[in-house]
Amino acid sequence: MIMPLIKGLQITISHMFKKPVTLQYPTERPEIKPGFRGLHALNVSHDKAKCVACYLCPTVCPAKCITVEAGEDANHDKYAAKYEIDMLRCIFCGYCVEACPVDAIRMTEQFELANYSRADFTYTKDRLLEKK
Amino acid sequence: MVNLTINGKQVAVEKDATIYDAAKACGIKIPILCHDKKLHPFGGCRMCLVEVEQMKGRLIPACTTPVTEGMIVQTTTDEIVKARKLVLELLLLKHPIDCPVCDAAGDCDLQNLTYEYKVNMNRFVDEKFNHEIDYENPLIERDMNRCIHCGKCARICDEIVSYGAYTFINRGIEAKMGTEFDGPLNCEFCGSCVSVCPVGALNSRPFKFKARWWALQKTKSVCSYCGTGCQLTLGSKDGKVLTTIYDENQGFHNGQLCTRGRFGYQFVNSDKRLTTPLVRKNGKLQEATWEEALAEVTSRLSAGKSDPASVAALATPRLTNEELFLLEKVFRGTIGTDNIDHSAGFAHEALTKGAVASFGVAASPSEIADIQKSNLLLVVKSDAYETHPVIGFEINLGVKRKGVAIRIVSDKKGKLTRLPGAKTTVHTPGSEVALFNALCKSVIDQGLVAEGVAGLDALKAAVADATAEKAGVTAEEIAAVAKDYATAEKALIILPIGLGYPGHNAALASAAANLAILTGKIGKEGSGLLIMGEKNNSQGAVDMGIYPKGTGLAASAIIDGCANGNVKTLFVAGENPVVSYPNRKKVEKALENVEFMVVADLFLTETAALADVVLPACSFAEKNGTFTSLGRRVQNVRKAIPAVGLAKTDFEILNALSQALGGARYNNQGEVFTEIAATVPAYKGLSQAGLKDEGAVYPVAVAAKLVPVQAKTAAPAAGKLAMVTGSALYHCGTMSRFGEGPMYVCPDAYAELNVADASALKIAEGDQVTVTSATGAVQVAAKVGKRVPQGVVFSPYHFGEGSVNTITDGAEVTYVTVAKK
Ligand code: SF4
Ligand code: SF4
Ligand code: SF4
Ligand code: SF4
Ligand code: SF4
Ligand code: FES
Repeated sequence: MIMPLIKGLQITISHMFKKPVTLQYPTERPEIKPGFRGLHALNVSHDKAKCVACYLCPTVCPAKCITVEAGEDANHDKYAAKYEIDMLRCIFCGYCVEACPVDAIRMTEQFELANYSRADFTYTKDRLLEKK
Repeated sequence: MVNLTINGKQVAVEKDATIYDAAKACGIKIPILCHDKKLHPFGGCRMCLVEVEQMKGRLIPACTTPVTEGMIVQTTTDEIVKARKLVLELLLLKHPIDCPVCDAAGDCDLQNLTYEYKVNMNRFVDEKFNHEIDYENPLIERDMNRCIHCGKCARICDEIVSYGAYTFINRGIEAKMGTEFDGPLNCEFCGSCVSVCPVGALNSRPFKFKARWWALQKTKSVCSYCGTGCQLTLGSKDGKVLTTIYDENQGFHNGQLCTRGRFGYQFVNSDKRLTTPLVRKNGKLQEATWEEALAEVTSRLSAGKSDPASVAALATPRLTNEELFLLEKVFRGTIGTDNIDHSAGFAHEALTKGAVASFGVAASPSEIADIQKSNLLLVVKSDAYETHPVIGFEINLGVKRKGVAIRIVSDKKGKLTRLPGAKTTVHTPGSEVALFNALCKSVIDQGLVAEGVAGLDALKAAVADATAEKAGVTAEEIAAVAKDYATAEKALIILPIGLGYPGHNAALASAAANLAILTGKIGKEGSGLLIMGEKNNSQGAVDMGIYPKGTGLAASAIIDGCANGNVKTLFVAGENPVVSYPNRKKVEKALENVEFMVVADLFLTETAALADVVLPACSFAEKNGTFTSLGRRVQNVRKAIPAVGLAKTDFEILNALSQALGGARYNNQGEVFTEIAATVPAYKGLSQAGLKDEGAVYPVAVAAKLVPVQAKTAAPAAGKLAMVTGSALYHCGTMSRFGEGPMYVCPDAYAELNVADASALKIAEGDQVTVTSATGAVQVAAKVGKRVPQGVVFSPYHFGEGSVNTITDGAEVTYVTVAKK
């Protein structure tokens, strides 16, 4: 039993001389890997949300947390009059991004989503619109 | 029967079947784009190509090729798939790929086939069309860039609707589905074209962008407007009815609907709906709880138990059979009053008295299916089409496809008049009974009486002095109609009745029945009399006994009773007498005078505004139950959405009242149906589950007998015009005013005049005119045309503003003067 003990100590001691992996959050920030799925954002084109309210993302969303309501603008075009994600139910699967035929929604690197009230987890169109 | 082999399967089909029909019969799916089972084969899209062994070397369209004995058909060889892919590629050459914004996505035949046939690229390139999109129309949006030229819209509008709004214009690649002078669409707005368009070229505007087809919850139910009893599929989402969905396999009408059924359902989610009970306090209606409101109603009604004659109830024939049955039980049974009526007192006497006298039953002896099985239709009033549009489609089909002859007797011309071979006899307003008596006399004079008709002598005596002149038509016309009718092998009389038609009462039903009996046109398929109740459950209301029997007061007497204080408590379920009953001022006064009035309704109608307690009721989309259509078909109504606000179904309201008054209590409406099946003879043996989707036609045992009736002679007033009332195509009763669709097309009351009268009075189309009668005056817009004969004014009765019942008083004809405002 002496050998395993020594082996164990070896590992322990080796770690004493390694750089710690713990991040001193929030002073230190993690490096976000590509493909990370954080808070959603609605892409903008020509000063408007790109979303054409095709209802594909609410259809594909397994958590059923997206609400889209289409409206008709002055040119008779379709736009998302309402676009809302209930972030408490979202499982960050990214299917919505996959489904979008017009590349209107993406997932950002933002992961700090904690909040105090339920209402604050409802991300309306305004809150999701890509900030320029 | 013809035998053939499809994909190795043996099939036997009728000899007029096509390859497509044969394949369908044995469960083999052949893709189609331009084919619709209701329409004549067209063969325009070439999607249905198949291979026939005997015709090797080329591919054959399955939808237009009749089967022949011994045919060997293959439906999916490599070559066929290649050909179909090519068809799709060619269609996609010009078709915009705007599926994300197209409303048809998810329910688009082109999209589905493109997916199924994996058309991922196109060998051809060309510029897309850039046709202007027609946004002008409030109900139908037309984007001809998406059109695939299947011609279905033009064919359905022509073949079934008989309107003919569309046609192909231009040739070759420039070809386009166009309208009259390529202008905006101006038609009946039945939406039939929208329903059959396989792509997103024609869209329903009220439903535009609201939801995707796949996200809709689909509930099969029955239209709640007219008595035709069309089945429809409600598409709802998040507790709102958003649209009706086309299903070509639904109902006797194969999914065909009229403008109200298609575009008139918005009243269900209208933000004008009542959501809480209202109780009058200090002279004002104020929100209250159900407990409070019901307590008030209960105490009033139980007080009425000691003097039942002082209690009365008026119900709308829009309630379900179960609700009407319960209403009868509460008022006639528990409270003990016989003063109950639906609009029968005014409008359904033809059924409750006329049909009973002539046939021994309060129902039509014929069914809707008889229309297409007949040889000749005799339509009373040209607007049978306007009151019951889908019956109108059946008539169109009968006349155009089955060669059924059509004769119309009416006080004005209408759409049916324009059908091929139609002959219209225009009589003076209000002389329908005189006209039928004259027809009977002519049949007798021409020796066309059927053998063995009992009671002939009495009828002969009664019609002895009936002349064509009394109806304002020529003797030749009468003789011709009588002869055509009597000599047809099978002939069916179509008689619309309802609040819009004063005078279409018991006498007219009997007069019409006499003609049928006299000529032996009763008791066989394709013959008889179809008495068409106005509302969705008019027949059910009669079957459930919602009319005074014995000493009870009928609707008009109830109103009088309210006025003179004999009726102290009035319960109104969904009826709106202020607008729909004749003589508005009188009705208003009476209802203001009645001590206590309860109104259960969807909206704060003109009547509800006068009530002491208003109870918010549920629409047909929020409840289960049954309706009985004019052809005696009992059909299931199904709940599609939860109740709006605090609204309760009339069943829940009446059940609560029944219990509080010491009557029966039911656990659910189904128990009531069971009781109906046990106690109403015609409904014996029916069960709600057994009705399934198609419903059941209950049988009637007709004991026909001649009932001589005397024609009243209306005294014409010199220098005045004869005003007749009726229905406008887009409306039904007063409820369609809350459906956005009908209101886009027909928002206001109008008076329709003949061009000659209009020019004499210097009135132009659209002018505001004042119509004055002995009862009052009303201001409406003028409509000028050739539909109404000279000396006659026609006005629909549905509207609260400019309501024509301000000037009518229940007479067949109201003599009026019309002057520019
Ligand atoms: S990430 Fe997944 S769960 Fe979240 S909104 Fe998108 S589809 Fe729905
Ligand atoms: S899939 Fe894209 S375009 Fe469609 S509703 Fe979602 S975000 Fe909008
Ligand atoms: S709505 Fe009806 S009448 Fe109008 S074009 Fe379409 S099918 Fe014809
Ligand atoms: S509008 Fe629609 S129904 Fe009419 S021809 Fe074009 S694709 Fe066919
Ligand atoms: S209103 Fe009458 S004809 Fe029109 S869809 Fe409804 S039941 Fe059918
Ligand atoms: S479906 Fe047969 S040719 Fe169009």
